[in-house]
Amino acid sequence: MDLHYQESHRPTRSMTYLEAVKTGLVKTGDFRGRASRSEFWWNFLDYLPIAPGLVIVNFFYTGALSDLAASLGNGLFTTLIIGPLLYLLVFLQLFLFFSFTTVTIRRLHDVGRSGWWLLLSPTVLGLLVIGFFLYLEGESSKNKYGAVPTNAPIEASMGEIISAIPDNLSMSARSAWIGRERVLAVFAGVFLASLVITTVLAYSAGLSGAFLQFSLQEEIFDGKVDFAEDPDPDSEGRTNDSTLWESTCSELIEMEEISDCGLVFGRQGVRVNGFFDEGGIIPQPLNAVGATGTIGDWTNVSWDYPEAYDSGPPINDRRTIRFYGDGIWDGDLGERHANRVIYGSWPSSGEEASANRSIILPSEIASKAGVGVNDTIDTLTFSYTYDYLGFASIATGFDDCPGEEYFNQESGYLYCQVNMTVYDLKVVAVYQEGGAGNPTLLFNPIMVSDSVLTEDQKLTLMTNDHGYLGIAIDRNELPASSTRAATDWLDGLKGDIEGVNYTSGNDIMIEYNDLISGTIGFLNIFLGIISVFDYILMIPIVVLSFSVLIYGLVLSLEQRRREISIHRVIGGTEAGLTSMILRELAVVGVIGWFTGYLLAMASVPVVLDAVGFMAFERSDFRVVPTLSGLVTLLIFMVTVGLTLLFGNSRTKDFLSIEIDEGVRRVATRKKSRLWLHLIIFFVGILSFLESWIESNGGLGPITSSGISSNFIVDGLLFLFGPFFLWIGGALVLGRIGAAGPRIFTTLFGWSPVLADIKRGLKGSGSSESVNRLAIILLLTLSIVTVAAVQGYTGTLVDERTTSAQTGADLQVQFEEPVSQQRAMQEVTLAIQRAGESEIDSIDYVTSVGDIFTNQKGEGSLLRTWILFEGHENTLQWDEQTIPGDDIDLVSAQWSSFGFTAGSSARSQLDISTKDIGSNTTIEYTSYSFGGLDSDMNPIITTTVTAAEITYMGGHRWVPGLQSSEANQAIVIGEATYKELLGQTAVESYTSNRWFFELCDETQKDCKDALKTLGVEISNGVGVASSSNWGTNHEANERTGGLIFGTPGLLSLQFVVASLASIASAFVFLSLVLSQRKKELAILQAIGASPQQVLRLVLFEIMAILLVSMGLGVILGLAISEAFNGFFGVFGFIFQIFLGQSAPIDRDLVWPWTELILVNASVLVAVVIALLFTTRRALKSDLAIVLKGE
Amino acid sequence: MLEVNGLKKGFGSGSRRLEVLKGIDLKIESGELVALMGPSGCGKSTLLNIIGGLLEADSGSISLTEFEYGTYPPSRVVDVRRKGVGWIFQDFHLVDRLSALDNVIFALELSGVPSSQAESQAMDALRKVGLSDRMNFIPDQLSGGQRQRVAIARAISGSRPLILADEPTGNLDVKSAEGILNLFKELCEDYGISVLMVTHDPNLASKADRMLLLRDGVTAASDIRSAWGVGGNP
Repeated sequence: MDLHYQESHRPTRSMTYLEAVKTGLVKTGDFRGRASRSEFWWNFLDYLPIAPGLVIVNFFYTGALSDLAASLGNGLFTTLIIGPLLYLLVFLQLFLFFSFTTVTIRRLHDVGRSGWWLLLSPTVLGLLVIGFFLYLEGESSKNKYGAVPTNAPIEASMGEIISAIPDNLSMSARSAWIGRERVLAVFAGVFLASLVITTVLAYSAGLSGAFLQFSLQEEIFDGKVDFAEDPDPDSEGRTNDSTLWESTCSELIEMEEISDCGLVFGRQGVRVNGFFDEGGIIPQPLNAVGATGTIGDWTNVSWDYPEAYDSGPPINDRRTIRFYGDGIWDGDLGERHANRVIYGSWPSSGEEASANRSIILPSEIASKAGVGVNDTIDTLTFSYTYDYLGFASIATGFDDCPGEEYFNQESGYLYCQVNMTVYDLKVVAVYQEGGAGNPTLLFNPIMVSDSVLTEDQKLTLMTNDHGYLGIAIDRNELPASSTRAATDWLDGLKGDIEGVNYTSGNDIMIEYNDLISGTIGFLNIFLGIISVFDYILMIPIVVLSFSVLIYGLVLSLEQRRREISIHRVIGGTEAGLTSMILRELAVVGVIGWFTGYLLAMASVPVVLDAVGFMAFERSDFRVVPTLSGLVTLLIFMVTVGLTLLFGNSRTKDFLSIEIDEGVRRVATRKKSRLWLHLIIFFVGILSFLESWIESNGGLGPITSSGISSNFIVDGLLFLFGPFFLWIGGALVLGRIGAAGPRIFTTLFGWSPVLADIKRGLKGSGSSESVNRLAIILLLTLSIVTVAAVQGYTGTLVDERTTSAQTGADLQVQFEEPVSQQRAMQEVTLAIQRAGESEIDSIDYVTSVGDIFTNQKGEGSLLRTWILFEGHENTLQWDEQTIPGDDIDLVSAQWSSFGFTAGSSARSQLDISTKDIGSNTTIEYTSYSFGGLDSDMNPIITTTVTAAEITYMGGHRWVPGLQSSEANQAIVIGEATYKELLGQTAVESYTSNRWFFELCDETQKDCKDALKTLGVEISNGVGVASSSNWGTNHEANERTGGLIFGTPGLLSLQFVVASLASIASAFVFLSLVLSQRKKELAILQAIGASPQQVLRLVLFEIMAILLVSMGLGVILGLAISEAFNGFFGVFGFIFQIFLGQSAPIDRDLVWPWTELILVNASVLVAVVIALLFTTRRALKSDLAIVLKGE
Repeated sequence: MLEVNGLKKGFGSGSRRLEVLKGIDLKIESGELVALMGPSGCGKSTLLNIIGGLLEADSGSISLTEFEYGTYPPSRVVDVRRKGVGWIFQDFHLVDRLSALDNVIFALELSGVPSSQAESQAMDALRKVGLSDRMNFIPDQLSGGQRQRVAIARAISGSRPLILADEPTGNLDVKSAEGILNLFKELCEDYGISVLMVTHDPNLASKADRMLLLRDGVTAASDIRSAWGVGGNP
């Protein structure tokens, strides 16, 4: 008998330092057993100096590596190699901490205390208690944690232990290769999990980057560098020497964050302290005043720019002008300017710009003046600001003002502005005016080479603080991981730039005005919500990959059950067996993780480029997806760690069962909790019903608000319901799928093909592995369906939103009401100017008339829209908005005195669905002025005309018109309009708004042509604004129905789930079949022919597959519907942020082709797998299989 | 009825080749219960597998009623397994999810017997093995001896002339084992079925009509006395 179990005693010897440390390291992670005092305290002494030491070492290590990474740039190499290396020492620290924790727990065990006491360690009292325990002599007999420690040193030398690691690993790799079938399941799981999680996280980072670039594309300058102090005679750190000032640029460019810099004469120095400092609005730009030239008509040009007040603070409402020094023309700044040029070309260098005396005009100015590229301008006059007066001193006026006074009514400042003229300029380019960006530098200026200014002029401008440095930062350097990081980075940059005195000896001091952090600040919130949305959207696919992983593990371990039991019989210890399995899992896991990681990194840019479901279009944004090392580490931990944890617990389960049972057969399973599955399924079905009823506008007695009208309940149901439906549905329906063979036998039992084998199908599907096959097929195929349905739906929603917003291919708003002829003339001119081959003439044109009527006998006015004959050829109607779904039919009703009404118009008229077909009379009142009466009051005669119209039903919106207004309006046809206003009303009809049908807008060529035409028409005479289908659709693709990149995620989901379903079907089948090898051999022994066996297996598996497939698709369709509610919740949030009111319902689209394709691929894969594995089973040595060896 | 001539079988190749059967000749008459004995690894199971059509021999021939085979691979001797030999294994090898009756019917149906006929034949066979009251029980609900009886019913149901039993009592207690052996004897006497049985149990073997001893790849003796080393020729 072993004395240790019998008598009280303590170890007879203490551990030496080396023995203790070695034991501590080797036993890392082994919480079982006990550790003596000598073992613990030597380790404590060891850890005490190492822990802080490593922190210091790590500081230098990461510093050096970061520098290396910075010098290499943000490439894939940095992400993949340097990123993980950065955390090498952190790994080591974590390992040592873990190791020390382990020995501490074992020491606590020695005194009979649980390791959970360590949870008290953050408190002082806790530390004292734990310290006391650690100090105590251990219990001198066996306790529940194990035997008394022996303090026997570990026999193997450290070298042996370390050198055994590669051996062990290669042995694991070899054993993994031998059992590649079971290993494939684990690999597939880890790979998918790693791929999906990495992609989602990297996507999120990439999304920030892309969105940032998307939002910043209006910004040319990222920063404006001014002198730190106002231009007073006694101010310091300034210079009036423009050359010296410009040379500061060369110092700034040396900073790695700054990619380009150049001198600009434009807005005066902005020095702002605090939000309410008026310093933000006082400094003035250079304003264009007038131009002359032999070519073109400059009198036609307006130099006012009132739009500026709409897009920013009241700084200035006139067209501005900037003079660019050499630094601006080339490099990043040159490139950004050049991107907006539509005619001519941006000068490639300062020399070229000055040689040509280049001027670049905004498109509106060029168009109004009638000048183009290579035309010359004789004189260009502009004004600079000499002085200003605040509100308090306006009354006294300027002492001396060499120029003209200009009073800014919005800001209340009075300026003294002096004119200056430059001569002989040549138009080298015309650029497309952009939307409003950051207002600091004001919008869409005229740009001229500063070489046209004389030295005196430059000095004057410098003296009056009009010279600044325009900065471009290297936007790739902007941390894209979060906008928060980007803002911090910009703050840091500001500090770095301002903290230095420039141009040695002259001590120039500068203030840096950041132009882009405001944009980023907004993105912070917005991107956060998008990320949450996308994370939630990706939950199913993450769950899916983990379930593949877990099922794969279960099956692979089950397969090894016999092997493990045999190992045990021949003397393998529990620890030895566990580590054998875990090593194999670790090797497979690491390979799977890395493969998934690499693939994810490569696929993120593609995902971000998605403009629609499975539709990818290269965007102009260069996105390098980066994941911080910590996140990478986290993904690694989650995927590989989970595999090991699960493998560990599962192996323990195994080892705890009787050896004999393990050798003989698969252990009996716990009964699964059907009631729980049913409840989950039921909640899921509720969310489906709720969403369906709401989108269907009610069901029977239930109104369109659905079963529950409580906002919170609905929200929760919509957020969680789809996932409940998915998981519950798979679990519950999986049972039906597994019963597929029985169902099919019942259905096809009569067939002679089954006569001899159908008995073999009795009771089939009861085995756990078959049930799992059914569940995994349901899980994957339903997700495939959801991704395809929601993806295509999103794409369609984008198109419909665009159609509803734009109304037609092209919508033009004129400043004054114009006739159809005049409108067509202007568009035809624009078509000629654009010269796009796709569009050569106007196919159709229409307008929507707008009058006020009242219901007979009622005083309140009704907004009334008139549809003219043929409107359906131009306007992009949608079946969602009209009663019924045939626009031709509805148009015919409109033209025969029918009318439709918006929701508030319906209540105003007190009509509802049951009134369809009933008549009502509306009246139109026209007023005419008949001179003045004797009391000098105007004589106004009113004429009232009436028309009887028939209610056709409700409309939701009218293409191209505000959907909020459509609520209050009724829509009538041309005939009714004529009856109210007379026959001639149509002929003399004029309108501000005209719609044009030009080409097939779903074609890419047409879309591109529309974009060009849109630019041209907005510069047309009398045109206030225009919108076109191409531009609007592009915006909607990026920010509309599915939000930036979400179609890419859905596409990814579709692809991954498709692959997962094929792969898992393959893997699971071969596992299922190899589990059944014996049964197939028995059948042959009792007289079944190979052909019969094949038929039996094929029928059985196909039955499971077909039933699961059918159920999977049905489940997927239901989940898609349930997801509509989910999309609705987020759509609501996005609407608040984007301010869009797209009235589009998410009517689901069923992409049958794709679904059939995927299901067919799964089917083909399974049949191949079946034939392959069954053939192998048939070929195997019957005698040996039956002997069970 | 069964005649085996010059049957040879070896495993492996080159220097690692092991000749297990080096020319087996044997004969079994109808209604004979023969026990096959021999030290472990002498090729008893191999011989049985070849006769039962689960393994092909390298050379030699087997003649069983109308079947002539021996060197054909298992996939070509399906008919032997359907109509010639019935198998009984130590582990019973029943289809777990099917009832006793279904197990027997299934084997018949696989051999091409129409369902209705198969059912009556199966019930008949189960009656013969004394399980008429347990027909609808699944294997898990039966004792080891009963399971082996189901396997026997399955083996004899297709009126197969020969039953091959590979240690049929290896997993059974003494009493059940005796029952099975008695059943074998009944089948031999009443229905003229021959049984070739591999066993390690001398007690059981002694109850057979005849005993074959396999040693060094050849049949060393072909009757009980010589197998036990007593007496001369019969």
